Amino acid sequence: MNAMRPLVFSLGLVAATLGPASAAPTADPLPAAEPDQQFTIGQPAPMMDTRMKGVSGTDLSIAEVAGSKGTLVIFTCNHCPWVKLWQTRIAAIGNAAMKRGVGVIAINSNDPAAYAEDGMDEMKARAKKLGFKFPYVVDATSDVARAFGATHTPEAYLLDPQGNLLYHGGVDDNARDEKAVKQPWLRDAVDAIVSGKPIPLAETKALGCSIKFREKGSS
Amino acid sequence: MRIATWLVALALAGCSRPGAERAPVAGPAALHAPPIVPVSASAILERAARPGARATLVNVWATWCGPCREEFPGLLKVARSRAGDGLRLMLVSADFDDQEPAVRDFLAARAVTDTAFLKTGDDMTFINTLSPKWSGALPATFIYDGGGRLVAFWEGMADEARFQRAVDQALAAHPPEGESQP
Repeated sequence: MNAMRPLVFSLGLVAATLGPASAAPTADPLPAAEPDQQFTIGQPAPMMDTRMKGVSGTDLSIAEVAGSKGTLVIFTCNHCPWVKLWQTRIAAIGNAAMKRGVGVIAINSNDPAAYAEDGMDEMKARAKKLGFKFPYVVDATSDVARAFGATHTPEAYLLDPQGNLLYHGGVDDNARDEKAVKQPWLRDAVDAIVSGKPIPLAETKALGCSIKFREKGSS
Repeated sequence: MRIATWLVALALAGCSRPGAERAPVAGPAALHAPPIVPVSASAILERAARPGARATLVNVWATWCGPCREEFPGLLKVARSRAGDGLRLMLVSADFDDQEPAVRDFLAARAVTDTAFLKTGDDMTFINTLSPKWSGALPATFIYDGGGRLVAFWEGMADEARFQRAVDQALAAHPPEGESQP
């Protein structure tokens, strides 16, 4: 784990913008893609001090894993076919980032009632299989994803050392074939933050699986 | 010969899919499958603006996407009930191109016979062309009026009632020729 830098952030969002407000009805058995809001480039990340249970058994917050160069927050899960295509790259990028002073945390916000594969036992197995050197934690209310405005997996947020958003988006431009990747967005963003350079492309998009949000107010 | 081809296609689909959440329904219905046409985001917009429909519903989905499959019956029910009122349906699969047999089989099993589509082009261009508000999560639904203007969009699963409301609003905003808006 990287430097334990206690960062203090407002739990409220600054000038939050509406996400896709017309999202699925909450009564749906698999409510999806309905973030309350999302924060934008340059704004402070929400819920930095919310502790979440990790596969190691330890509760951790984003602030607690923050690195001296910044923090990489990745919303991911186990069941999603797109995550499965990117997961070895996520592991490699995350492990390498940690060695360079970037704190890393992978967050699973999916309700395992929707997909049992997204439960803790499978998370432990997946983290071990992929060799995660970084924590893989459960967002047990899905509220962290809502606060970030995360809608799908995998979805990455790279924060500067003060916790402000520098990069938001996908891993790269080719889920199917790593060798055919033309734009390694997340690697480039990590390289930039480590070297103190501007992020080449601060916002990117890729298709992914909608987050299977728990009902609001769940615990 | 056709059956043999179908069996080979199914076998290939099963091997190539990267990790389907649940295998799509398979069966001889694939023999009556709709044509699958590659489509870019700009081609979708162009088709939505073509004369001949009072509204166009575009649904982007994938065979391995649970919420996509779950909302399909309600989506199809609304689309079929409003086809006679001038609703055009475009089902756009985001499966990879070599998963086309699985797409065809999925649609055929649900008695979809009209031309369906397979997304082409890179994700980010596709997403932002259809709507900068779309995060990339599946499923995603876009409803255009008769002039090809986007009048409704959401991402994530919807139920039949939601499809019904959105379609009815789009149709009401573009009454048939000879009728005036209330």
